[in-house]
Amino acid sequence: MFSLYKKELQAFFYSPFAYVLTALFMLIFSFVFITSIASMDSNVFKFSFPDIFYNNFFYFIFIIPILTMRSFADERRGGTEVLLLTSPLSVAQIVLAKFFSIVTVFLVMMISSLFFPIWTAYTGQVMWSSLICAYIGFFLWGLVCIAVGMLLSSLTGNAIISAILGEIVMEGALLADSLGGTALVNAYPQLDSVIKWVSMQRRFIYFSQGMFRLEDLVFFLSATAVVICWNIIAIEKRRWSHN
Amino acid sequence: MVEIKNLSKYYGRNPAVKGIDFEIRDNEILGFLGPNGAGKSTTMNIIAGYLPSTGGTVTINGFDITEQASEAKKCIGYLPEIPPVYPDMRVEEYLNFVAGLKGVPKAERKQQIESSMERLHITDMRRRLIRNLSKGYKQRVGFAQALLGNPKILILDEPTVGLDPTQVMEVRNLILELKKDHSIIFSSHILAEVSAVCERVVIINKGEIMAIDTIENLERSMTADTVLNLTAEGDKEKIIRLLKDIRGVINISSIQEISEHKNLYQIELQNESVRNEIMSVLLNNQCSIIEITLAKLSLEQVFLKLTSQGKKRTSLQDLLTEMPEQPDNPYHEEV
Repeated sequence: MFSLYKKELQAFFYSPFAYVLTALFMLIFSFVFITSIASMDSNVFKFSFPDIFYNNFFYFIFIIPILTMRSFADERRGGTEVLLLTSPLSVAQIVLAKFFSIVTVFLVMMISSLFFPIWTAYTGQVMWSSLICAYIGFFLWGLVCIAVGMLLSSLTGNAIISAILGEIVMEGALLADSLGGTALVNAYPQLDSVIKWVSMQRRFIYFSQGMFRLEDLVFFLSATAVVICWNIIAIEKRRWSHN
Repeated sequence: MVEIKNLSKYYGRNPAVKGIDFEIRDNEILGFLGPNGAGKSTTMNIIAGYLPSTGGTVTINGFDITEQASEAKKCIGYLPEIPPVYPDMRVEEYLNFVAGLKGVPKAERKQQIESSMERLHITDMRRRLIRNLSKGYKQRVGFAQALLGNPKILILDEPTVGLDPTQVMEVRNLILELKKDHSIIFSSHILAEVSAVCERVVIINKGEIMAIDTIENLERSMTADTVLNLTAEGDKEKIIRLLKDIRGVINISSIQEISEHKNLYQIELQNESVRNEIMSVLLNNQCSIIEITLAKLSLEQVFLKLTSQGKKRTSLQDLLTEMPEQPDNPYHEEV
């Protein structure tokens, strides 16, 4: 399993792929960072990193499908899926190895974004406790999105289509979240509570406020696990009904 | 040893493989023959554990491919039709990855990679990106990959496709060399290759086994004593007319000119007794007979004959029972 993980990481870092995406991530981050400073209230020299993360996520969510699009689609197109599935590894191990390699790239992006708070800490003060919480929330939200992106990649078999579908799903999730507060949905309290419960945005807000709730941690981790299991089942199913 | 029992595979409602049985013995090269779409690749994919079967079992060295998948897959080296290589990797890097994937211990990895690269003559290419290799080299890298982990069973799906004639010879020799400590199943639709390498062949068509036997037996079993190859000297038209006038001659086909006034005729007879009459008629008409042989079908013809028949045969015995009884005949091979 470690060999596959290593190979996947090499595929990211031996090509410009991971660097370009990290650069894009940093660009977005710095853009949000600068606009936050620019729009700062001139009397109170204060801006919030969790807010930056929150705003950043709306852009970042569109980078994730690009990160995950090749994971299974390329294996299927290149005929290398046979190699993996005829190796002694189980499908679960294959999916997990790929998942962790993408998570590692994601972690690299997050670590590089530490540049901003560290820089701020030199010139001012940073509330590290809320920052750490925001990082944890950001990471957990990212895990779910990576799992979803991988699932789409294994379902479609075409990298570009899986990326586009990923964008649509991510956009759809954001839209559904924002539907939660509208008058239309408020008319149906049950529906509203369901939307609020599955809304990842709302759960992220708790983290960004410096609140670490076990409920949210369990939600994000179990959502990730469910999507990963779905991915494993999807691959098994395709083996059975092979075109 | 690999045992395949009552294996079937349906794609939706379409059967790809319909209840086939055969086995691959230790240190044997088994040829797997069939026209395109016969179910060769499907069967090989099932044996290698890539596709699950709809029914039946595949046992590899005592491990069931679905129940004990991991153990069974460790015994297999598989080269699919399209070599499963990553274009962005270097040859050595790729082989190192596959060795890790197959769980080869770190201490043995280097040595195994070196020896498989040497066997396939790709040591010079170790630093090259796979995307820049020619088709033949990609095929060899795919083959080298199958040898990693020292699997006892090798499944090779058309391993010589895309290779030049020298490389084909090399691969054939390699397969023969590997026979010493491997069981090999080897599919192809190039019959010459199968005759050159395999001891036994399985002929499959439309998902059913048409025959399993050694090549010699198959060729022999298909020898019909009612078809003769006649080489005779004399005017072609005249000989054909003479032959056609003989009662019992059904058809004269595939006339090949050997040299001037010397032709090879294939004659289909109603029964063997006509043979004597053919000779006497020709001799009486001053046509000299150079050679008469029983038409022996080559593996190619056996293959065509079997795959064009819809009827299923599972063993040589079935084939023989359908053949007419062969009496002792004085003109057995040559006259």
